[in-house]
Amino acid sequence: MITSWYNISADLPRPLPPPMDPYEGDSRIALLTRILPSDLIDQEFTAERYVPIPERVQELYERIGRPTPLRRARGLERAIGTKAKIYYKFEGALPGGSHKLNTAVAQVYYASIDGAKEVVTETGAGQWGLAVAIASALIGINAKVFMTKNSYINKKQRVLFMRVFGADVSPSPSDLTEFGKSTLTKDPNHPGSLGVAISEAIEYAVKGEGRKYIPGSVLEFVLLHQTIIGLEAMQQMPEEPDLVVGCVGGGSNFSGLSFPFIGSKLTGAGFEKTRFLAVESNAAPKLTRGSYMYDYPDTAGTLPMIRMFTLGHDYVPPPIHAAGLRYHGAAPSLSLLVKDGYVETRSYEQEEVMEAARLFAKSEAILPAPESAHAIRAVIDEARRMGSGTILFNLSGHGLLDSDAYEKVLRI
Amino acid sequence: MGLYITATYPDSATFLEVLNRTRGIVDFYEIGIPTSNPKYDGPIIRMTHFKSQLKGLEAIKIANYEKSILMGYIDDYVSSLDTVAKTAAEVGASAILFPDLLFDHFNRLNDYVVAMRRHDLRPAFFVSSKTPHRIIEKLASLEPLFIYLGLYASTGTKLPVYIERNVSIVRKLIGDTYLVTGFAVRDSSMVRALIEAGANGVVVGTAFIERMSDLGNAVEFLKELREGL
Repeated sequence: MITSWYNISADLPRPLPPPMDPYEGDSRIALLTRILPSDLIDQEFTAERYVPIPERVQELYERIGRPTPLRRARGLERAIGTKAKIYYKFEGALPGGSHKLNTAVAQVYYASIDGAKEVVTETGAGQWGLAVAIASALIGINAKVFMTKNSYINKKQRVLFMRVFGADVSPSPSDLTEFGKSTLTKDPNHPGSLGVAISEAIEYAVKGEGRKYIPGSVLEFVLLHQTIIGLEAMQQMPEEPDLVVGCVGGGSNFSGLSFPFIGSKLTGAGFEKTRFLAVESNAAPKLTRGSYMYDYPDTAGTLPMIRMFTLGHDYVPPPIHAAGLRYHGAAPSLSLLVKDGYVETRSYEQEEVMEAARLFAKSEAILPAPESAHAIRAVIDEARRMGSGTILFNLSGHGLLDSDAYEKVLRI
Repeated sequence: MGLYITATYPDSATFLEVLNRTRGIVDFYEIGIPTSNPKYDGPIIRMTHFKSQLKGLEAIKIANYEKSILMGYIDDYVSSLDTVAKTAAEVGASAILFPDLLFDHFNRLNDYVVAMRRHDLRPAFFVSSKTPHRIIEKLASLEPLFIYLGLYASTGTKLPVYIERNVSIVRKLIGDTYLVTGFAVRDSSMVRALIEAGANGVVVGTAFIERMSDLGNAVEFLKELREGL
């Protein structure tokens, strides 16, 4: 059992630029104390290389099925005719079907010991919202979820299941917040975006008593919690990978798998030959086509600015089916590693991604989530190109609740 | 204990009066070189940059600063490191601290050290709790006058961060290098906790500036803080 998370900022090749306030308006940095659980703020700014996992969270990790399986994709290897060995960490085995529960149980735990009665958050495809709903049910506090409208309409089952676990779910933009109302005034048919949903969740959290906001990605403590994936994988892998692959929405699943490996490489402790590949959607190509600059993580500009690869905080991605990747920015530590060339990047169209999803499903008997299928697409292309070697990727979620993507993109 | 004040804030006469009335109460000064882009500072220190009577190096030339350091943004002096170092030496400062050096101009680290030494100044480095450990160790090996640990994300804004733990970690990384801590230092118990965790010194800025409309009260506040040492 892993007992500490790994904080890569202790080992980055250069210092992580701090969050920054804009010159106009109130201090966003000061606002953090009102919206986030205290321990999460502490973790965002900790100097520790390894952060102890509280016993209660370790117990919850065990209850939800950690460690997750590491499997070899022999069927996929045969299907594409490669001698490369392909391994994947199956985070879809967790309740809720994605890696999101790793940080949800930690964040809801910290919110509860901070005295919160309700956690508030946003969700895209619903994996994060469902994870928060499950974690809140396990820990015994309320959950309020703002779900991007496009997904709210297309992912009815996730909405239903969030409600089964007791969460209160609203489509975003909504009329529950001033920001939602103003967004709807400008565009009554706004499909929603993670940026808008984050802004709504924060406003809702600030305006109510006993509420704490908890984020699904981007912030450093989220990536910290997700390193449980890579730390387990390091113990489970029978050999050093030549390539580690993951998809990127805000960066938590890619970073969760890869950071322990990258950290070892940066400190000379191993994995010298390992390459790292972050895969994103052409609908939100911040790593391949964005700018490395200070920008807001949310559309309303409520949070402090962070230096990251970004398409601009007012970017509205087209409504694709990998909703979890429809986000304008990428986490600061991941962005720095991309900027300095330690992580390679690639982006794909959803059609080629869903073809890869179908091939993986037929050869491995697991329906991947459309987000995770971006990683699979890259793994297939890389395995064919490499011809041999070892690849590890994060199958960050299953796609059993993503029938719309399979139906509409593959036209089945 | 050090006092941070931006040169010529709110005007030259008041700035000089602050130096006179606090001499002997604080051990050293950190004199801000007014800039138009104090990006990593909090709202109060930012305001002092914008409202200083003089701007840039002209502002620091109105006094002499024995046993003190200057603080500026290297963004303003990337192509004129020798000029700023020469001016610092002329006004008697011991070092120039650039909080943005490692974040925004990491590849100029060596140029900075060389420029400082050329003018008989010691390098001094600003780090945050997120600065990589081996970089902190490397900075200590460059024999700086001190390493300054910013306790929070920006000056004057306190967050629920376990700062004693972070001080203790940095202390272990830098051996006996002098460790200065600052940001949102507001009471003597915090000063005491920082020293006990391994800091050699603390700098107060925002909390003093907030009290400057009543200078007598601000000076008394410094005396109270000093009790934590």
